Amino acid sequence: MLKELNYKFLILLSTVLACTILAFFVGFIKNETIVYTHFFYVPILLAGVWYRKKAVYIALFLCLVYILVTLFSPQGELYVYVFERSAIFVAVAYVIGLVSEKRAKGEEKLKETKEYLDNIITSSADAIVVVDMEGIVRSWNKAAEDYMGYSAEEVIGTSNRKFFADPGEAEKIMRIVQREGELKNYRTTLLNKDKNPVHVSMSAALLKDKYGVPVGTVRVSRDITKEVELEEKIKEERDNLNQILESMDDGVYIVSKDYKVEFMNKVLIDALGYHVGDICYKAFHNRDEPCPLCKNTEVMKGKTVRWEWYSRRNDRTYDLFEAPLRNIDGTISKLTIFRDISDRKRMEDDLRDAEERYRIIFEHALTALCVIEHGEVVSLANKEFETLSGYSREEIKGKKWIDFIAARDRDRVQNYCAERRKGEAPACCEFKFVSSNGEIKHVNAWIEPIPGADSCIASLLDITELKRKEDELRETCEKLAELDKMKRDFLNVAYHEMRSPLAPIVGYASMLERCELPDKGKRYLHNIEHSARELEKLINRMLELARIDGKKIELSLERVYISKVVAEVAKDLEPEAKEKKQVISMAVQEVEIQADRQKIVAIFSNLISNAIKYTPEGGKIDIMVEDRGEDIRACVADTGIGIPKEHLPKIFERFYMVDTSLTRKSGSLGLGLSIVKEYVKLHGGIVWATSEPEKGSKFFFIMPKRQK
Amino acid sequence: MGEKKRILIVEDASYMRDMLVEMLEQEEGSYEVVGFAVNGKEAVEKYKELKPDIVTMDLVMEVMDGIQAIREIKKYDPNALIIAISALGTPEQKKAALDAGAEEYLWKPFTIKNLFDALEKLLRKREE
Repeated sequence: MLKELNYKFLILLSTVLACTILAFFVGFIKNETIVYTHFFYVPILLAGVWYRKKAVYIALFLCLVYILVTLFSPQGELYVYVFERSAIFVAVAYVIGLVSEKRAKGEEKLKETKEYLDNIITSSADAIVVVDMEGIVRSWNKAAEDYMGYSAEEVIGTSNRKFFADPGEAEKIMRIVQREGELKNYRTTLLNKDKNPVHVSMSAALLKDKYGVPVGTVRVSRDITKEVELEEKIKEERDNLNQILESMDDGVYIVSKDYKVEFMNKVLIDALGYHVGDICYKAFHNRDEPCPLCKNTEVMKGKTVRWEWYSRRNDRTYDLFEAPLRNIDGTISKLTIFRDISDRKRMEDDLRDAEERYRIIFEHALTALCVIEHGEVVSLANKEFETLSGYSREEIKGKKWIDFIAARDRDRVQNYCAERRKGEAPACCEFKFVSSNGEIKHVNAWIEPIPGADSCIASLLDITELKRKEDELRETCEKLAELDKMKRDFLNVAYHEMRSPLAPIVGYASMLERCELPDKGKRYLHNIEHSARELEKLINRMLELARIDGKKIELSLERVYISKVVAEVAKDLEPEAKEKKQVISMAVQEVEIQADRQKIVAIFSNLISNAIKYTPEGGKIDIMVEDRGEDIRACVADTGIGIPKEHLPKIFERFYMVDTSLTRKSGSLGLGLSIVKEYVKLHGGIVWATSEPEKGSKFFFIMPKRQK
Repeated sequence: MGEKKRILIVEDASYMRDMLVEMLEQEEGSYEVVGFAVNGKEAVEKYKELKPDIVTMDLVMEVMDGIQAIREIKKYDPNALIIAISALGTPEQKKAALDAGAEEYLWKPFTIKNLFDALEKLLRKREE
């Protein structure tokens, strides 16, 4: 630098000296007035080029020399043109100085810029590589060395193919850059010196020479290995999330900020069809712009919203949960979970309807109803409860349950309610109810716990009137029972008192039999005894009926041999039959049954004596008993007067007499058959009769062999 | 038969007392009526006083009924022989009389044969 400067300085100095000498030589030695000042431009120009504005000093110096020479030379005369020329010198020097200074400044700037750029390139964190059109590396910065492990010396002049995991990428990038002139954020994987992958984001530009011919490409690559790993992790997580969303029972979709459907899970696809990639408001709602209800803007602001949406398309109601979902690239998508609540909704509606129905039932029920909370406070009452209590609904609400109960019944009802709530008491409870004016009403209460709540519903029926009637009825019943008892007592006494006088009649007659009597007397005695026996029978039957009336008769069960009983009864009645010259024939199977012997005797006795009574002299009486396995079937048939058809259904009724005239042939109070009927019934059997007037009657009964 | 059996008749109706006497007189050799009572209370007193072999006891009487009288007599003398006699004839009454300690139950009206059958049955039972 100094050398250069000295060399320029010397040249300049020598030209200035040369000009000065020339001036003195021409002015003082030659003494000629030749124009030499043209030579002055040489140092002025040189100084202007080399030292810029300092050329003005050279020009001033030369002007001084010129003026002095002109002034002091013999021929010299100071004319105006001398100053003119001097001024031109200075002006030329100034202009040249100015121009050259400007140029020098531009060059300096250029130099600075170049240094600055070099610095940037060297210190850049991004790898900056220049590759020529043949793919040969021409420049390789520090960052590239760090990224790839190769030094600049190693790679400059070699092909760039080896840097790519896929060597084909080298040509591909070149083609793109050639075609597009540039490449932006192109993601590719490089291999470093140790053959490990380096993920980079590459931008490239075409380099052209001054004629516009492409000479190479400059490529700026950023190591994004960390970002790629992170992205992969995020992607993995997103895949997991999608898998979760896919397996959810609820429908799920993800919509981007610009309403593009990015994801739909299977449930939602099944419900709404496949629309991934479509614009949501177009695909789902046939709209040209976002739906008015859409919450996208809110969600994009980071808000989570929940709302209910009815889909007219498939007639379902969804509970929507929408939340922002941050994407890898920092944008936000809207995640929406569609919970199908149509069924719940329908159930709710049904429930509401049911509630309304039950409310109406509650309101219009004819019993007083109220709801009791915690066994203490009445929270709800119906119209009938208002009527019963005499309070308005507003007054009832919040009133203590206990205030409706008469003091005497309070503890009992409270205990009952407590037990009832535990399910340990019967549903019904009777107590005295106090209405607003203090009036006491008898109520029958049903207390029913309401499931799932500490409350119960009380249903109160005013039974005051019922109670009064019941009391009346009870009184009547008691009176009747008393009367009945009086009747029975009377009958018992009457029976006893009627039988007592019979005792001496029968007793003395039996003694008289032992005495010597004329035939006539014996006949009289016989008649007395017969009548006494008949009278005794009548009295006995009356008592039996009185007893049947009174209460259920207990059977005293034993083994009864039917043939024996029939034979016994027949033997007892034989004298009567003989008197009427009747024949009794028996076809009785040997059968043993479980029965009350006395009653069986009475049955046959009544049937057979009836047969004798109503059969004319010389008639025939058949007695048949058949063993049918589970039961016996008995029949007493006669050849008597028969029973008119219209009387048949009634003959077993008490006191029923076919012939009610006092002059009827045979005496009977019509009690026999009703006793038969009662006794057969007591044994679980049935009795009936068939008859043909003037030909005879048949009386049947069926009786089980064993009693339950 | 040997010794005459001494009989106490307990009966509120005079015609029944008369008839029982008449009946028993028919077998004078076997039975002797030693006394009468018209109600249960009197019967117990008479029993203690007379110590009869047999008592015929009507059941429906005033002051003290027959059943009660049978109980009292049996309490006094467990070996007493008593025939209960009644017009009622219900199974309940019969059972009550026999439970109280009567040996036999005679249902009014009865024949002279019925009476002696019962007496004989009573004595036979005692001899056994």
